Parts: sequence; C-alpha cells; structure tokens
Amino acid sequence: MTAADLLAVVMVLGLTAYALTGGADFGGGVWDLLARGRDAADQRRLVSAALGPIWEANHVWLIFVVVMMFSGFPEAFGIVGSTLEIPLICALAGIVLRGAAYVYRAYGSGAAGPDHWWGHVFAVSSAITPVALGVAGAALVTGDVAEGAPLTPVTSAFGIVCGVFALAATAFLAAVYLCRDAAASPETEHLVPGLRRRALGSAVACGLLAAVLLPLLWSEAPVVADRFADRSVPFVVLSAIGGVTSLVALWQHRFTAARVTAGIAVAGVLWGWAAAQYPDLVVGRATVDSAAAPEANIVAMLIAVCCGLVVLVPSLWMLFRLFANPEPEAEAEARS
Amino acid sequence: MVQAAEVLSHVAALAQTGDLNPASATSTGLARGQTAISLAFHICFAVFGVGMPWLLLYVEGRWVRTRDPVWLALTRKWSRAFAVLFAVGAVSGTALSFEFGLLWPAFMARYGGVLGLSFTLEGFAFFTEAIFIGMYLYGWKRLSPRAHWLTLWPIAIAGTFSTLFIITANAWMNTPGHVTEVDGKVVSAEPFAPFLAATAPHQLIHMLLAAMMCTGGIVAGVYAVGMLRGRRDAYHQRGLRIGLTVLLVCAPLQLIVGDWAARVVGNEQPIKLAAMEGLGHTTTHAPLTLGGIYDEQTGEVRHGIEIPNLLSLMQGFSADKEIIGLAAVPPEERPNALLVHLAFNVMVGLGMALIALSAAVGFVVLLRRRRGQRPLVPTGRPWLWAAAASGPASVLAMMAGWEVTEGGRQPWIVYGRMRVDEAVTTSSGMPAIFTGTVLLYLGLATALILILRRMATGGPELGGSVGEATRAPDIPDARPAPDQQAPNLPASASAGDGSGNGTGTDPSGREEDTR
Ligand code: HDD
Ligand code: HEM
Ligand code: HEM
Repeated sequence: MTAADLLAVVMVLGLTAYALTGGADFGGGVWDLLARGRDAADQRRLVSAALGPIWEANHVWLIFVVVMMFSGFPEAFGIVGSTLEIPLICALAGIVLRGAAYVYRAYGSGAAGPDHWWGHVFAVSSAITPVALGVAGAALVTGDVAEGAPLTPVTSAFGIVCGVFALAATAFLAAVYLCRDAAASPETEHLVPGLRRRALGSAVACGLLAAVLLPLLWSEAPVVADRFADRSVPFVVLSAIGGVTSLVALWQHRFTAARVTAGIAVAGVLWGWAAAQYPDLVVGRATVDSAAAPEANIVAMLIAVCCGLVVLVPSLWMLFRLFANPEPEAEAEARS
Repeated sequence: MVQAAEVLSHVAALAQTGDLNPASATSTGLARGQTAISLAFHICFAVFGVGMPWLLLYVEGRWVRTRDPVWLALTRKWSRAFAVLFAVGAVSGTALSFEFGLLWPAFMARYGGVLGLSFTLEGFAFFTEAIFIGMYLYGWKRLSPRAHWLTLWPIAIAGTFSTLFIITANAWMNTPGHVTEVDGKVVSAEPFAPFLAATAPHQLIHMLLAAMMCTGGIVAGVYAVGMLRGRRDAYHQRGLRIGLTVLLVCAPLQLIVGDWAARVVGNEQPIKLAAMEGLGHTTTHAPLTLGGIYDEQTGEVRHGIEIPNLLSLMQGFSADKEIIGLAAVPPEERPNALLVHLAFNVMVGLGMALIALSAAVGFVVLLRRRRGQRPLVPTGRPWLWAAAASGPASVLAMMAGWEVTEGGRQPWIVYGRMRVDEAVTTSSGMPAIFTGTVLLYLGLATALILILRRMATGGPELGGSVGEATRAPDIPDARPAPDQQAPNLPASASAGDGSGNGTGTDPSGREEDTR
C-alpha cells in the first residue's frame, strides 16, 4: 500500500464521517421542508435543537475531504473543478445558504425578514446539497466528464438517481437519529411515531432507488460495475443488514441501536462504492497513482492527520457527550 | 543581470500572448473579481473569528471572577454576534475552498500538493474551533461557568492558528521556494515549503494585528455610537474601553511590522515594491511619494508629495540604495501600479491616523489618571466619533493591504512561476457564476447587517427568562449570578430585552409568532 493509497483511505473515512454526521444534518433540513400538520412546528423545533451545537463541526468533515482531495490529488481536483462546475456550484450555494439561513433564523429575531422565510431557505438548501453532491459523485463513477460540457453530469440518468439516492439516505439517517432525540424528552415524545414512519418510508425509498441504480450502474459505468461485482458484495450485504436491523430496532424502541445500524447501512454503501472505484478517482481520467502529489507531501499530510486526530477525537467525543441528552432544564432551574 | 531576466521574460511573454484570446481574458477578469469578492467577504468575518474569542476570554473571565452582571451582559451580547459572524465565516470559507478548484483549476492541479500541509493543518484548526464553538454557544446550561470560560481557549488558539496556516499558503504564492519543477510539473516539494516562505513571518504578524485591530475597532465603534445616542452606562463604557484598548495598542505595532514587511518585499518582490511606491524607473536616492496618482505613460506619480531619498533610506538605510523600478520588467509583467500605489497609501494613511488617535488617547488617559478623573477613556463627542470611525478605518486598511499584496503580485498567481491567465478556468459559464455569487453574497451581507444592527441597538440583555433561552438556542442566562442586582444600567434594560433602550425595537418579543 502506497502513501497515496493510505491517503485515499483516509479520504473515504472522512467522507463516511461527513455522510453520517453532516449528511444527517441535511436530512434534518429535508424533514423541516416536509413537516406538515399539527406537529409541524414541534418537529421543526426538534430538528433545529438537534442541529444547533454540532452542525458546524459536522460540516468541517466536508472541508477535510475537499482539502485532502486538492492537496493529495491535485490533478483530480483540477479535473473536478473544471468539469463538475454545475453540481459543485449548486452544492456550494446550498451549503452557504443552509448555514447562513440556520443562524439567521436562530438569531435574527426577524431583523432580516421573517424567521420562517429563513426557515424555508434552510430547508430547501438542505435538500439541494445532497442531491448535488450525489450527482458529482456519480460523475466520478461514470467518468463521463469533459471540459466545455458542463451539462453532461446533470443530465445523466445515473447521476440524477444517485443524487436522489443521496437525498433519501440523508433523510433516512436524520429520521432515525431524530427518533432518539425525540424520545429523550417527554415534551417531544409524541413525535416519535411520526419519525418512525418517516424512517421506514425513506428506507423503502432507498431500497427502491438502489434497485433502479444497480442496472444503471452496469449500463453507464461498466468499469466500476465489474469491480463492484468482484469486491463490493460484502459491503452491500453489510449495508442491507444494517438497514433492516435499524428498522427492527426502531420498532422495538431501541433508538441507540437503531442509530448505529442505520449508520452502518449508509457507510456500507459508501465503502462498496469506494472499493469498486479504486484505483480510479475520476474513471478514465485520473487514478490514485497518477493524480497523487509528490510522496513527501503526502507523507507529511498523513503525519499531520495523525497529529490532528489526537486533538480531534477527544474534542469530538466531548462535544457529542455534552449534547447527548436534552437540556438539563429542570436541574438548572432547581439549582439556581 | 536584470537585462538577461528582461529578455527571458520578454520571450516568455511573447509565447504567452499567442493564446490570449478575448474569452479567456474576460474569464480571467471575472475569476479574479470573484476571488477578490469572496475573499474580501470571508475575511470580514474571519477577523472576528480570530479576534472575538480573545475579547470574550477577557470579558467572560471578568464575569467568572466578579459575577458582575455588566460583564455577563457584554459576554452574552458578544457571543450572540460571534455566533452569527462565525457561521457566516465558516460557510464563506467553505465556498472558498471549492472556488479555488472551480476558478483556478490549473493552479490547484499544479500546486495543491505544495500547499497540502498548510491546508491540512488548517482543516484541523477549523475542526477544533467549530467543536468548541458548539460547546461554547450551546453549553451555557451544561457547563459550569469556569468550564464554559475554558472552552474559549481552544477557540481562540485555533482561530489564531488558522490564520497562521492560511497565511503561509498565501506567503508561498508571493515568494515560492523549496519546490522543484520539471516541465510544469512539481517533482519534489519540501512539505514545509509554505512555512519557509520569506514573506510568511511578517504577513502572519501583520494579519494577526490587523484582525485584532478590526475586532477592537468595530467593538469600540458599536459602543461609541451607543454613547453618542445618549446611553452612557457602565455597559457601554466598558465595551468602548475594551475595544479601544485593543485597537490602540495594536496600531503602533502595526507600523513596525509594516515597515519590516516593506523591506522584505523590497528584497523578494521588487516589482511589487515599485508598484506600491509608484516608482517607474530604477534609481538610487529614490524618494518616498505620498499620495498622488501613478501615470503609466511617464512612469511618474502626479500630484504626490515627494520626500527626497526617503525610500532608499527606508529600504537600505542609505541614500545610495538602488531601488528597482517598474520599467525593469516588460509592461505585461507589471502590476497595476495606479491601484496598488493608491491602496498602499490608503492603508498607510489610515494606519497613521489610527496611530495618531492612539497617541492622543494615550496622552489623555495619562492626564486623567494623574488628575484622578474617571473614566480614564475620554468620552467627549469628538472622541466618540473618532472611536466610531476607527472600526471601519481598520477594515478598510486591511482590505487595502490585501489589494497591495494580491494586486502587487500580478500578473502572477504564484510569483515568477505561474501566471494568473495560465491558472484560470476555461469555463464559458463564468459570467453566470460571477453574477450569481455577487447576488448571493449581497443578499447574505444585507441580511447579516440588518441582524447585527438589531443586535447592536437592542441594548444589553440582562436576566432574560429561561423560557426564551430554550428557543433562541444560545442565550447564556441559565446561571444568573445568585446575587444579581439591578446593574448600573437604564431600568428598562434590566427588564430583559432593552425595549426601552433607544430604538424601541424589541427583538425577543418577536420570536414567538414565527415558530
Ligand atoms: C488594520 C489594518 C492594517 C494597517 C493599519 C496597516 N496594514 Fe499593512 N497590511 C494589512 C493591514 C494593515 C493586511 C491586510 O493585513 C496585509 C495584506 C497582506 C498581509 O500580510 O497584511 C497588509 C500588507 C502590507 C504590506 C505588503 C506585505 C506583503 O505583500 O508581503 C506592506 C508593505 C504593509 N502592509 C505595510 C504597512 C505599513 C507601513 C503600515 C503603516 C502603518 C500598515 N501596513 C498599516
Ligand atoms: C487571510 C486570510 C484568512 C484568514 C485570516 C482566515 C481565517 C479564518 C478563520 C478565523 C476562520 C474560522 C471561521 C470564522 O471565525 O469566521 C475561517 C474559516 C474558514 N476559512 Fe478562512 N481565512 C482566510 C482565508 C481563507 C482562504 C483563502 C480559504 C480557502 C482556501 C479559507 C477557508 C476557510 C474555510 C473552509 C473556513 C470554514 C471552517 C469552518 O467551518 O469552521 N480561508 N477562516
Ligand atoms: C483574506 C484576505 C485576502 C484578500 C482580501 C485577498 C484579496 C485578493 C484580491 C483583491 C485578489 C485579486 C487581485 C487582482 O486581480 O488584482 C486576489 C487574488 C487571489 N488571491 Fe487573495 N486575498 C486574500 C488572501 C488570500 C489567501 C490567504 C490566499 C491563498 C491561500 C489567496 C489566494 C488568491 C488567489 C488564488 C487569487 C487569484 C489569482 C490572482 O489574481 O492572483 N488570497 N486576492
């Protein structure tokens, strides 16, 4: 295994972390968008409270992956930058608007337009981003990219289905995660049945989309499809088991277990893809080897990553522990 | 020596102009414009990400020790503003990291690896900052006051380090070294190349001081305006005092670092120095020209004030020091000296004005202390106006400084190695992308200004009810000091939201109806 391979593994792990944390945040926005009926306001509040302390940290995983990509595989980043402009710009606009709208709603007190406008901006941009990122990912799989043909990635059927699949996966994660948040406090417990239904619905959607996706993979991206059949079956099985188990766990009100298994379901898909993609970064254009920066730089980056993790892991652990349970409202009041 | 270089670069330039079609020229212009706008937008928020945590460390530290509600009120107000500024800084920064690839694909493809270490470490600095900001903003009820205060340390340190890392990347673009290239491909690069760049030390310190000055100046300005409107309570006085102190201590230091910077630039990027000073022709006994407009035709500055010999003296401590002029390189390798000279003068002029303010305030403070007068900081109307102007002046000086650094590097994206027009995207979509970016940023900036204005005019928040806190996620009021008393503030302010406080708008009351 070369240093570049190792860096690619680090990137995949970073991407997994982003999908499981940041992805779920986008999914939260999707449920904000789809919130209807009597409980809509409560549900939006639940989403907002769950996002508050963690979304900025979750979001840095994306920056981490982008930075790894342009520092470790600069040539691939050059290709991506000059061929995938449309999906990337949509993702960017989504990211910028989502973040800004979230804080504007939380802190704006109506100074810059009614809060619920920002709420809608937040919800819509949350839904756009995973689709755009899914489309961009699909283009790396097919290798169907060319300078001067910016529309190719967004008009490919495979790309669009991948985008929608990404959206459904984030929605699934968010619904599962939110079940635990909702169940943790008596004020929000009544939201659990609705969220469970949503988790089930999005899981079914993911399954159906996957069924459409597989034949498309064979017709649109034969190179990756062959390697997929060779290498990715274990991951797919892992993913399917994870998905089913998480639904069972939800049904039995074992929300923590449901979170873990839902995470495995999504990670399995990503790993299956990564295994089939290797050694290509952009199929037909750049491989891990051909696009790699000089070895010494990659080694330095890997060392920096290790040192960084020493700071990062305990900090993240503290963050999630601190906010694992709902506000200790009653205690705080009792004490003061 | 110079001539040989001239001939060589002439040849290079001729080879270049062949493929310079109009389409790529406009797309270069648009890409440059977009980079400049995005960076300027980002830096306006990033400076608060660097400066604000240090100020918060001070005010919240005072609150933890004294439990004085005025310190708490300052902490609460600033942490709310910081929350918004940080989030906008974070998303605009994310946009930048994508944009580098979208706008300058060839630059990233060739040099991304060289900058790898800087950006990787930068990524971890962001992580640390974002994680602890989550704890800080949302952890008021879950952490003890002391632990809460402690979470500011990693934020402040990481913010400062993120400046370090990003500036090394920029410094390397200005003075690239420690990298070997063959046929336009990097074959070996020392991992620490960006950290070894000749301009890195002064750029870093200059930028950190600038960040502190901008934060201090804006904070001081907000409270100065409040006081001009008649709110002269302890809350406003302390806010003003802290902001002004930071600004005025950094201003003289900035001059020292700036002078150092100019000497390094003179050595490493002589053409940039020539553009800064509007020096057309290489000469000894070079004068320093203040103000004026550089005329490309004659290579002279019109309407400027010339101080004979000074530039040579400042650069080499001797009037015989030869200073290279713009004419030493062919025209297409010269930066836009009109703009760079102007920007440089704006920065130095504003810097000098702030130093003068610093000296004047320092003098008055000493005088008042000797006479035993309080408060020490003068609060007459002219002083307050000056304080109010100091924030925008610092920000303007910083922007001008970046125009000097980046504009003075032109036409190179990586000095002497890669030209901007080689690096740029060939996308035909640039006009649309550019328009979209401008509109998006304009909209976000307008909304942000409205929100910050509301925050700034909303008055201090003291003793708001816990019920509000659960909705606006961060309000740090769960642990009011047990002995909280009506502080030294207008009575209406302590009622919870400042509704009687000047503007009459009431932020917290509105939150109900929109959920
Ligand atoms: C509050 C803002 C501020 C103030 C008051 C000053 N500067 Fe500055 N200056 C900056 C903010 C700044 C900056 C925005 O931070 C720059 C841009 C790049 C950099 O590293 O710092 C900069 C760059 C910069 C450069 C170019 C460095 C390079 O390209 O490597 C020089 C020579 C100076 N400055 C010199 C001065 C002098 C002589 C000042 C006299 C008072 C001064 N600056 C005040
Ligand atoms: C002098 C230049 C710069 C300084 C001082 C600076 C500083 C900072 C700081 C302090 C933050 C933390 C967020 C905040 O507080 O607003 C930040 C965020 C960010 N910056 Fe910059 N930055 C600079 C330029 C750049 C450039 C050129 C890039 C991209 C190539 C960039 C990318 C980012 C990113 C991705 C974030 C978001 C991190 C997060 O989510 O927390 N910055 N920057
Ligand atoms: C944050 C403060 C910064 C500001 C306000 C700023 C400003 C500018 C401006 C005005 C330009 C356009 C120059 C011209 O066309 O005349 C520019 C170009 C550019 N800057 Fe900066 N800059 C900043 C920091 C950085 C940093 C830290 C980096 C790299 C890590 C960077 C990378 C670039 C690149 C790649 C370009 C485009 C190529 C070029 O025109 O030279 N900038 N910037």
